[in-house]
Amino acid sequence: MLTPSSPLRTPETIHPSLWLASQLARGGARGVSSGFEALDAELPERGWPPGVLIELLLPQDGIGELRLLRPLLAQEPGQGAARSPQRLARAERIALLQAPYQVNAPGWAHMGVAAARLLHLQADHPADAVWAAEQVLRADSCQALLMWQTRQRKGDHELLRRLHIAAQSGHTLFFMFRPLACAREASPAPLRLTLHAARDGLDIGFLKRRGPLREQTLFLPLSPSPNLQRHAPVDRRTPALATAGSLSSELAG
Amino acid sequence: MVFERERVSAVSATARALGVHEGMRRGGVQLLAPAAHQHERDPLQETAMLQQAALALLQYTPQVALAEEACVLLDVSASLRLFGGIRALCRKIRITIARLGLSATLACAVTATGAWMLARFGDVRTLRTASLCRRLDRLPVVLLSAAVAHLEWLHGLGCRQLGQLRRLPRAGLQRRCGKDLLDMLARAYGEAPEVHDWVVAPPAFRARIELPDRIDQTDILATYAQRLLAQLAGWLAARQLAIKKLRLWLEHERGRQAVPPTELGLPLSVPAWQEDHLHTLVKEKLSRSTLAAPAIALGLAADELQAQQAASELLFPEPGGSAEDHQRLLELLVARLGADKVQQAAPRADHRPEIANRWCSVMQSTTRLPAPMTTNPAHLPPRPLWLLEEPLPLRLHRHRPVYRSPLEFTSPPERIEAGWWEGRPLTRDYFTARDAQHAYYWIFRQWRGGERPDEEPQWFLHGLFG
Repeated sequence: MLTPSSPLRTPETIHPSLWLASQLARGGARGVSSGFEALDAELPERGWPPGVLIELLLPQDGIGELRLLRPLLAQEPGQGAARSPQRLARAERIALLQAPYQVNAPGWAHMGVAAARLLHLQADHPADAVWAAEQVLRADSCQALLMWQTRQRKGDHELLRRLHIAAQSGHTLFFMFRPLACAREASPAPLRLTLHAARDGLDIGFLKRRGPLREQTLFLPLSPSPNLQRHAPVDRRTPALATAGSLSSELAG
Repeated sequence: MVFERERVSAVSATARALGVHEGMRRGGVQLLAPAAHQHERDPLQETAMLQQAALALLQYTPQVALAEEACVLLDVSASLRLFGGIRALCRKIRITIARLGLSATLACAVTATGAWMLARFGDVRTLRTASLCRRLDRLPVVLLSAAVAHLEWLHGLGCRQLGQLRRLPRAGLQRRCGKDLLDMLARAYGEAPEVHDWVVAPPAFRARIELPDRIDQTDILATYAQRLLAQLAGWLAARQLAIKKLRLWLEHERGRQAVPPTELGLPLSVPAWQEDHLHTLVKEKLSRSTLAAPAIALGLAADELQAQQAASELLFPEPGGSAEDHQRLLELLVARLGADKVQQAAPRADHRPEIANRWCSVMQSTTRLPAPMTTNPAHLPPRPLWLLEEPLPLRLHRHRPVYRSPLEFTSPPERIEAGWWEGRPLTRDYFTARDAQHAYYWIFRQWRGGERPDEEPQWFLHGLFG
């Protein structure tokens, strides 16, 4: 008999790992804030969960998926820029694996990710890429690992399961970018989001999360869009003001 | 079964079931178990193996001694805290011994002679003198090597255990059996001091093992390399050194079809001494190399060495891996993916985007590269996150460039005019553009030889704002 005061009505009071299907998982304060209030409110753990596989499914590259991660990855400008890669703290390194295009380091620096923080890995074979991802996750020495999978393949499920298990051994934020066609396939990732470009922002669909089903997409304004970014400051020196009497007496005389 | 001087000296369980036992002659064995594998005992190789084990075990304590009856004695009293207690230490020692391809019985006691006798009896762990005395009292007299000559006489007295032996009158025992027996007994019970001849690590490291067969599979070779690495780890620990360059060589067939040995050099960016790390590196290196011929022997040498740096730990350790862990990760990635596939950014101070975006291997030092970018990136005009390898020509549709769909300009132009000092002048106007799907692109208009009104400019896609 379930009385209103029964602990079975509020399972989250029994243990933080328990929740009702209508609630979002609040396993603890482990989530790393995404920097967007609206998105944090819809994510279990109130942010990006570290140490799990997070799948982001995109129709094409370059629609703003990295601007979505910008508040997470960016740092105060000037911080960490002058330091050598060996002296970085763990929270600062970002590994990029199988990037779809050439990574433009000045562009990342412009976004707030100092070039020294980036580690770029390129593997010739998909098997090597999965191996490299596992090593990065096991070593747990990077803040985030961004991995791209450009094509859908047979046996992906097994690879994703391996990667998810590797991710659980540490606290690295592990984002995997996959084509939208993979949305039809099952995946062991506990958080799967679909991203669609929208005017001045992104439409985020919640394909899978530890919480209730959400049919409608969430629109996230991503500013500044490149067109709204401030233009180059005009570096013009202000001329030194000539004050009265500053002229030397020799010249005056 | 193993033969020594035509007599059986060791028997497997199946052979024992057939009736074979120690001390039988070869003829009798062939009658009982004709299908059994027969091996000759090789005392030279046994001594070599024992020395290898002693070398490998130097990583747990600097005080290692060899004792008779194929025993290695370790003084671990100072190592207990470092390795997390006696159970953890025993577990680690077992793993090391298994990696050498050996098996051992492990016994601990407060006296070395006591431990030696317990080990020959079985896996026994005693930590106090009282429990050691209790254990020793129950051991058979035969384990005391000084008493073996008088065994029949002792058994005749009804004296079968050490406790009974201890109760015999000392004066009579000394007269009949000599001083050695009493001395040994006193050392075992901790009543007399013990003197050991400690094993000293050789000044240079060079190890080699013969493989049991011709092997051409690299993963099997890696398992054998582990034996060498276990010894290397012990040697490095004993001499307080870290390795900078490792050399592994594979010997191939000798004689008529002689193939020169394959050499594999393994340079490390940061000196290391951890056995597991070295093993993964060697494994990756082996799996990436192709063998010219099956290998018959493996060798390992330490080429470049330097003094070991003590690990400095933080008072409040950060979660996740340390800087050393990250270095090891980089080395591991380089070993499998190749040095040119693991890159770090070294942006260059140049206006041309493809030249400003410079990446180099993590094994290279960025500080010595020319013209690093020192400008604060916030002072630069917007730059995309992705660049195309080659700018992609765009076609025009009603005076608007098209990439998948017509592009719409969202920024004023940025003129980049550079490269004239290298004889490759380029004049480009960069724009940020947006397509119908709201993705942002970085496109440019190229002027061939400066801006002229009669010339039609060519449009290119150069990057994507992710």
